[in-house]
Amino acid sequence: MRWDICYRETWLHRTNPSLKLLVMLVLFIGVLFVHNPNILMNFSIALILLFIIYTGYPMKYLLLLFLPFLLIFISTASSMMLFGQGKTTWFQWGLVHITKESFLRGMHLGFRALTFALLGLLFSLTTRPVYLFYSLMQQLKLKPKYAYSFLAGVRLIPIMLEEFQTVQNALKVRGVTANSGIFEKIKRYAIPLLSQSIRRAQRIAVAMEAKRFSSGAARTFYYEIGFSKYDFVFLLLISVMAAVAYYVGISFPYIPVEDVR
Amino acid sequence: MERIASVEQLRLKFPGKDTLLFKDLSVSFYKGEKVLLLGPSGCGKSTLLQVLSGLIPHSVDIPMKAKHVQVPDNWGYVFQDPDSQFCMPFVDEEIAFALENIGVPREQMKGRIEELLKEVGLHLTPHTDIQTLSGGMKQRLALASVLALQPDVLFLDEPTAMIDDEGTESIWKTVKQIAHNKTVIIVEHKIEQVLDFVDRIILFNDHGEIIADGEAATVFHDYKDVIADQGIWYPGIWDEYVKQRKRRQPAVREDEVIRLERFQGYRNREVKIRVDQAIVQSGEWIAITGKNGAGKSTLLHALMKLIPTDGVYELFGKQSEQFKTLARLIAFVFQNPEFQFVTNSVWEEMAYSLRLEKRSKTEIAETVESLLQMFHLKEQQDQHPYQLSMGQKRRLSVAASIVSGQQIFLLDEPTFGQDAKNTFALLELLESYREQGATILMITHDENIVTHFATRRWVIEDGQLVSDEQLVTDHTKGALLSV
Repeated sequence: MRWDICYRETWLHRTNPSLKLLVMLVLFIGVLFVHNPNILMNFSIALILLFIIYTGYPMKYLLLLFLPFLLIFISTASSMMLFGQGKTTWFQWGLVHITKESFLRGMHLGFRALTFALLGLLFSLTTRPVYLFYSLMQQLKLKPKYAYSFLAGVRLIPIMLEEFQTVQNALKVRGVTANSGIFEKIKRYAIPLLSQSIRRAQRIAVAMEAKRFSSGAARTFYYEIGFSKYDFVFLLLISVMAAVAYYVGISFPYIPVEDVR
Repeated sequence: MERIASVEQLRLKFPGKDTLLFKDLSVSFYKGEKVLLLGPSGCGKSTLLQVLSGLIPHSVDIPMKAKHVQVPDNWGYVFQDPDSQFCMPFVDEEIAFALENIGVPREQMKGRIEELLKEVGLHLTPHTDIQTLSGGMKQRLALASVLALQPDVLFLDEPTAMIDDEGTESIWKTVKQIAHNKTVIIVEHKIEQVLDFVDRIILFNDHGEIIADGEAATVFHDYKDVIADQGIWYPGIWDEYVKQRKRRQPAVREDEVIRLERFQGYRNREVKIRVDQAIVQSGEWIAITGKNGAGKSTLLHALMKLIPTDGVYELFGKQSEQFKTLARLIAFVFQNPEFQFVTNSVWEEMAYSLRLEKRSKTEIAETVESLLQMFHLKEQQDQHPYQLSMGQKRRLSVAASIVSGQQIFLLDEPTFGQDAKNTFALLELLESYREQGATILMITHDENIVTHFATRRWVIEDGQLVSDEQLVTDHTKGALLSV
């Protein structure tokens, strides 16, 4: 079982991973303080465009990846809409009570969730873990000890997926039927997978030290990760997106509401 | 000669064990020597390598005491498991990791990486995903990244234990090329390829004591019986085994067991294995051979219906679709026995399938008891399967799979990584089942097993059964059967 998705490398891939991470974090927190649904909607649309045009993945995969987050959008939005509180009632039927306020609040929450998802996808689709950790070591002075442990861990994931399939087959071969309890199931998969991973992790650690990996010594880096014009483009684009979203949201609102609280 | 590594009066004990692994062990190694450490599994050879390299106690925390330990200044260590000695996803990054550790300037890295790959005979683009390499290639990559450290001493800890014959050969060829001016200390169980390379052998016994230490040819000659008894693969072992083996008996009956017509197995909706026509009879031992990735395992998975299939697949004259589960007809043994264990003790493991079939308590107890005897696992019956030795795990996985009295065995390289003793024991056990009329389909890379045990050979190439050849035509006179 392997992830072999071909993608085109875009300028987004070449921006500095640490910078990208910090910008994403700032946006994450920033979005929490936006209470005007117009601004948030504009910003989401801008992110969707960025997501479609510049992640470099084929449309099919983008849609597939986006699907679960769309579901989150719908579920977050609808639960707030249907059961939230408000003054102006639009529709009432049993427990369901849709008001204008709750509708707007629901939409707003939905878009917020969507923005979070888009930011996360944008970052993870355009950043190779190896570059991220090299950049974290070089720009943010992360200790190599932690960076390489993470990278070794990332390497274990595909191995674990393969082993998961093996365990699944083994259980079938032993005549284990599917209708056993959930805890039984977790136990059956978790114990062999975990015991194997723990052993692997221990062995990899020893192998790394056998290759003279130590926290004390000065080290050189195979990948020199610095800054380039793409970082400037990235910062500029994000600022423009935020500014335009704000300006358009204030000047040409779709909904005549400025604060959903 | 200049001494390069040594221990004096080493005492070492694993936590939780009552006895010392080493008691006052002293041994020295000299510059340029090629040394082979031999001994039964679990006698502490690998542990000694780790002490000599300083990994114990520096990286692995095991209490030890020694009067004096001399660790070489520059050493490299290649481990057993090809899947757990890399920390980076790509070939070039992995070698670069070693270069970074010793502070090689970035500008020189690309050149060094290409040099090192050439040195170990890996002709591939440096930026290749490590997961796509075969086991033999992974071990040569491990050698390359160790050579990046420019070591004087190489510690090789069973580098071929989990590698097939082809890979094993490539690894030793590489070692011979690169190591002429280095000191090499090797732990290995398959010594056919190593014997002409080493000039000194140190032989251990069960208690971690040195029983012989000297020139390779002399030690090998004088202690051959001991070496054979320890289950080590040495040159000529098959000839000796065949000589003392009793005449094989033909199977008791010959009925049609499996019929395949235009049989196809799918992975991700693509045909990955195709058998146009084949009929298998009881009492046959079919060796499935072919290159890595040709589709041998896929064929077994298809026969067990672990993957979607179509075409005609009959078992004992009935459509395979008519059976709710094939687990009662077919026993399947995986390469890694650990993944097959589903319970917490050896006894429970054997009883598991019987319980699923709702057999009576006394019947279960009787069956398990007889299997424990037959597979020499009586003393271990209360242990957790993971605590067994490799040979014991393998025996348990076979015992637990055949417990419901299946008549068809599908085995995926069951002798892989086993020592000689365990291999012969397992093959003989399978042979006894075959004589009683069981059918065996077994993937193997070992030509000796094909010649001396199989009655028929299937060759798989590019996902197709391309050759189907009877190795014995007449059971009574067949030269291959009556050894």
